[in-house]
Amino acid sequence: MLKLKNVDSYYGESRVIEGLSLDIPKGKIVGLIGRNGVGKSTTLKSIMGIVKTPCGEILFDGENIIKKPVYERVKMGIGYVPQGRDIFPHMTVQENIELGLQPLGGKGTVPDYLYDLFPILPKFAKRKGGDLSGGQQQQLAIARALAADPKILILDEPTEGIQPSIIKDIGAAIKKINEWKGITVLLVEQYLDFVMQNTDTVNVMEKGCIVFSSNTADADAAEVQRLMTE
Amino acid sequence: MDQFVNTLFNGVSLSSIILLTSLGLAITFGLMRVINMAHGEFVMIGAYTTYVVQEIFNKYLPESMRDIYYFAAIPAAFFVTFLLGSLLEKLVIRRLYGREIDSLLATWGISLILQQAARSIFGTQGVNVNAPSFLNGGITIGGCTFSYNRLFIILMVALCLFLVWLIMYKSNFGKQMRAVMQNRTMAQCMGINSRKVDNITFAIGSGLAGIAGCSVALLGSIDSTVGQSYIVNSFMAVVLGGVGKLLGTVIGSTIIGSASIFTENYTSSTIAKAIVLLIVIIFLQKRPQGLFVIKSRNLDE
Repeated sequence: MLKLKNVDSYYGESRVIEGLSLDIPKGKIVGLIGRNGVGKSTTLKSIMGIVKTPCGEILFDGENIIKKPVYERVKMGIGYVPQGRDIFPHMTVQENIELGLQPLGGKGTVPDYLYDLFPILPKFAKRKGGDLSGGQQQQLAIARALAADPKILILDEPTEGIQPSIIKDIGAAIKKINEWKGITVLLVEQYLDFVMQNTDTVNVMEKGCIVFSSNTADADAAEVQRLMTE
Repeated sequence: MDQFVNTLFNGVSLSSIILLTSLGLAITFGLMRVINMAHGEFVMIGAYTTYVVQEIFNKYLPESMRDIYYFAAIPAAFFVTFLLGSLLEKLVIRRLYGREIDSLLATWGISLILQQAARSIFGTQGVNVNAPSFLNGGITIGGCTFSYNRLFIILMVALCLFLVWLIMYKSNFGKQMRAVMQNRTMAQCMGINSRKVDNITFAIGSGLAGIAGCSVALLGSIDSTVGQSYIVNSFMAVVLGGVGKLLGTVIGSTIIGSASIFTENYTSSTIAKAIVLLIVIIFLQKRPQGLFVIKSRNLDE
């Protein structure tokens, strides 16, 4: 579904990722884990087109999207939940979710299953997005990214700063959207247990490269932990 | 009492013109954070467009049809300034987002170029637009006279305000526009072409200045500096109301317009300007974010 081949990424003049290759198979939940500053978020931003990627290939459904602007990548079926959620604070919850329909030209309706997945959202539909708690904003950001039925959902540290009960709900929601809708998920995290519980494959990143890759079921959590803290 | 009502009417009338120029600014400055010093020149272009449409009607249409020139001048003023605004955004402003001082200097230069262009095309002497005959005269109630052209301007401003509200809060484009202004990168990640939105937003702000020019043309002579006389008040109205809030712009314009007329009534126009400026400075010392402050858990400002 999504393949990165020898991708270099830059912030201004400094290279953050060098020759990164990663394969995200269709219908799978893929975890990408690593310490702070190893290039996990930059990898996601490269996929989205937010950072400069002058070298390599990003193949989405066989098409190289590396030169496409951000909005076109989204229209092709890539849903993105950034670190820190980035919901629109001055818009209502309903408006925030409906913004997720922009890849369809702002037309259509928000799929009902999203409200089953996150029942808090219809309850707070008229509240300003900025007035929600961190956990509620995270649920809103995920629902927004799913509104246009993307082929792949990219999540950047969805557990960051969230209370444990909501983390559990988010984990369950990720599994459900994968099972119910067949949506492929790329999950970036630092929270090892969350990745081990909710992904099919796990990749460890270090200094802009993948240093470990395995089926999550076969992976030794202690080994992954060691790679992360080394 | 009659004098008070007359002054109040004049205050509302001035407020409505300030509001019309401020509406465009509320979009380009309030929402896009672009300090467009050439905004006043878009008012001037709108006024000259009205003059040109009048001249075309006078030349090519029978006398009985000349009065309707104004109804053609309003959309013409909007589209001319809309297109020029779109061009300015594409050629200059686009390269200056996030660089407020640079955009201020660049647009100031553009305002000088536009003023000189107007002088070269229309001459240094002011030109006049004749108000359509149905706008001559007014309604007299007691000792108060409400002129038709000022009533017409108030009506036009109310209509523009309603249309801007519809675009911003009831249309998909308005949703895109607000998303881009709040968080450009995230708006792109929603599938929004932010460059296109920026361009159309700036063009709408400029188009509104054009309509303001159309109304200004009814009130006096048009020359290359006609927009300048309104632009300071308009910037004050946007800042006073609270940058980024449409309702704030409405209230800000009303305060600035009414305060100007009332102080002018008891002093002179120069002293009135100084007093209004002083009031705004004192107010902003106490409340730097203006009348309406946007509150939320995580402001992106």
